[in-house]
Amino acid sequence: MQWMTLFQKELLENWRNKKWIWVPLVIILLSIMDPITTYYLPQIIDSVGGMEGAVFELPEYAPADVMMMSLAQLSMLGVLVIVLISMGTIAGERKSGISELVLVKPVSYLNYITAKWVAYLVLVWVSLFLGLLVSWYYINLLFGNLSFGDLMITVLFYGIWLTLVVSLSIFYNTLVKSAGLVVFFTILTIMVMSITTNIFNHVLDWSPNNLSGYIIEAIKVGEVSNDLMITGVVTIGISILLVLLSGQIFKHKEMA
Amino acid sequence: MVGINWAVIAPLLIIQLILVIVAIIDLVKVKETNGPKWMWALIILLANIIGPILYFIFGRRQR
Repeated sequence: MQWMTLFQKELLENWRNKKWIWVPLVIILLSIMDPITTYYLPQIIDSVGGMEGAVFELPEYAPADVMMMSLAQLSMLGVLVIVLISMGTIAGERKSGISELVLVKPVSYLNYITAKWVAYLVLVWVSLFLGLLVSWYYINLLFGNLSFGDLMITVLFYGIWLTLVVSLSIFYNTLVKSAGLVVFFTILTIMVMSITTNIFNHVLDWSPNNLSGYIIEAIKVGEVSNDLMITGVVTIGISILLVLLSGQIFKHKEMA
Repeated sequence: MVGINWAVIAPLLIIQLILVIVAIIDLVKVKETNGPKWMWALIILLANIIGPILYFIFGRRQR
């Protein structure tokens, strides 16, 4: 199968340039940083020592709140890492001429793009699962009980959000030739999306940016709301659309 | 510092250590980097956590 060959090439490449080692580790670090620092905040303040006589209450955190901190960290730095690892995947290959070497053979454009897409998705999903798993372990150890089902809900729906990030990056990879521009446009799009969602909050109930909010709601209440389901489906839909669109763009660009 | 549970902190340190070691091994094995190798060695060793990540993203030549 042609697609499998391309897919294996991508996996091998991600292994060779060590992405399979460092991306999961960095995602784990990002996910557990906040739970641990929050837990040790009193000691940290003590050791800095500037708080003589100032009495203040540190809030008690519920396990769901701490999970939200992990997600917030992933939404900033995690997304940045994902965009940075995928920035050159097609743009770079076109610049260096590798893509011509591949595409001179009768390789379907869509196969070429989806193989890359799925290879990055596997990497991102595995990293996310490991990161949140370790974070979940710490939350249970330090803050209180959070069920495994809650963890799975978080991984599943947050993974959908990261899927959209990867799809956006792949999309811009086919549009522009420079890796730096891919990063710029992807981050810009995510920011514009988040601002639009904030402004038109009353109409955009199912905007992908609402995913983490719904996730926290779901693990607090203990059941998956319809809003979360629909938002998830909408996000997957947008991702698939983006990838199909990049297939089309890429085809026409290569022909020209 | 009293009351720090090392079992909690240890994984953080181990992950950092693995990142540094993998980055250094890769730096030694790789033929060419963006910019001088000794500079990357310093960055990896001195800037903890962020150093190895910077190296993996920007230091490695695409091909």
